[in-house]
Amino acid sequence: MRQIIEGYPKEPRYLLATLQDIQEHHKYLSVESMKMVAEYLGVPESRVFSVATFYKALSLVPQGKKVIKVCNGTACHLRGAPKLVEALEKELGIKNGETTEDGFFTIQTVNCVGACAMAPVVMVNDRVYGKVTISQIPEIIEEERKDAV
Amino acid sequence: MVEVTIDGQKIEVEKGTTALEAARSLGIEIPTLCYHEGLPPDGNCRLCQVEVTDARGRTNLVISCMYPIKGPVEIRTDTERVRDARAFVVKLLLARSPHSPVLQHLAEEYGVEPLDARFVPEDETDLCIRCGRCVRACATLGNNCIEFVWRGWEKEVNTPFKEPSNSCIGCGACAQVCPTGAIRVTEDETTRTIWDRTFDLVACERCGVRFATPEQLKVVSPEFKPVDGRVLCPRCRKLEEARAVASGLGAQEEN
Repeated sequence: MRQIIEGYPKEPRYLLATLQDIQEHHKYLSVESMKMVAEYLGVPESRVFSVATFYKALSLVPQGKKVIKVCNGTACHLRGAPKLVEALEKELGIKNGETTEDGFFTIQTVNCVGACAMAPVVMVNDRVYGKVTISQIPEIIEEERKDAV
Repeated sequence: MVEVTIDGQKIEVEKGTTALEAARSLGIEIPTLCYHEGLPPDGNCRLCQVEVTDARGRTNLVISCMYPIKGPVEIRTDTERVRDARAFVVKLLLARSPHSPVLQHLAEEYGVEPLDARFVPEDETDLCIRCGRCVRACATLGNNCIEFVWRGWEKEVNTPFKEPSNSCIGCGACAQVCPTGAIRVTEDETTRTIWDRTFDLVACERCGVRFATPEQLKVVSPEFKPVDGRVLCPRCRKLEEARAVASGLGAQEEN
């Protein structure tokens, strides 16, 4: 953690970059890490917390190794995205926004991933699955689980 | 200096004076919520809108607290367009804090109909209109202990990590500047509680009134510097100062 933080010059403008780096390596921002960043960069803790809560890319609770983003934009919504979320929730035994106990998966809904022609779209980290059907969900999870192990 | 006309009255103002300051110097009332004389303007409540016609005859609605006067313009603060714009702002704010007396009063003034009862949750107690006066006050006078957190409809003002802030000095500046009374400070005989943290209160060594927190006294500002080694409340301070000046004058007369 200290290594990540001290890789940046001690200037307030590196706040977001530092937080992004911590998010990437630790999958979330702990209160301790935010306090360390505040002290190192000389930014008020309130500011760090404000930035950390503003961006969706930053999370205050641990995220899974694989973040499943179900697109719920207009096109995907019409083509059954809510049903996909239900199926994922059932398959993984968690609710939307939560992370599995083994720390592998997190389910999120996002508003548009910009691939409406492939609706409904599911993204797992950087991999895109288009025209997803409910019957494909167990397969996708299995494949991603293997990859995560 | 620039000569401007505000509601038909002519006034000369320094270049860069805001429309709001100019109007107020003429005694013209413009309603504001997020504006505070002692704080940097932010222009986010949109209530202080006025109509400005520039030298080329173009008329626009502007936010008077952040409109610096640069040329000879004509400002109107009470046209139908202005009233409509303000009424719209009040309507939106009222939807957020339907039980705020300040907003209800403004709604009455601008003829905004109360929200349909279906849209007013009975347990809605949020008075905060997210104007950020408290945030600016804490940044200016305090220790940057509160900030806007989360965003969208979840946006609120809170302390870091939603925990009682260690750097808060309990000065209460945030509550003092809050236009709607959303920030709660409670005081009893010996303590003051704000943002979930309870502070001791120090007594004035002259009159015994408990007036400030030890944390506040540590941040030495002119108001709290001990006088002859004694910690005095602002009232006793002024009395002592006045007495010192008076005795000084007396001594001169004797000479």
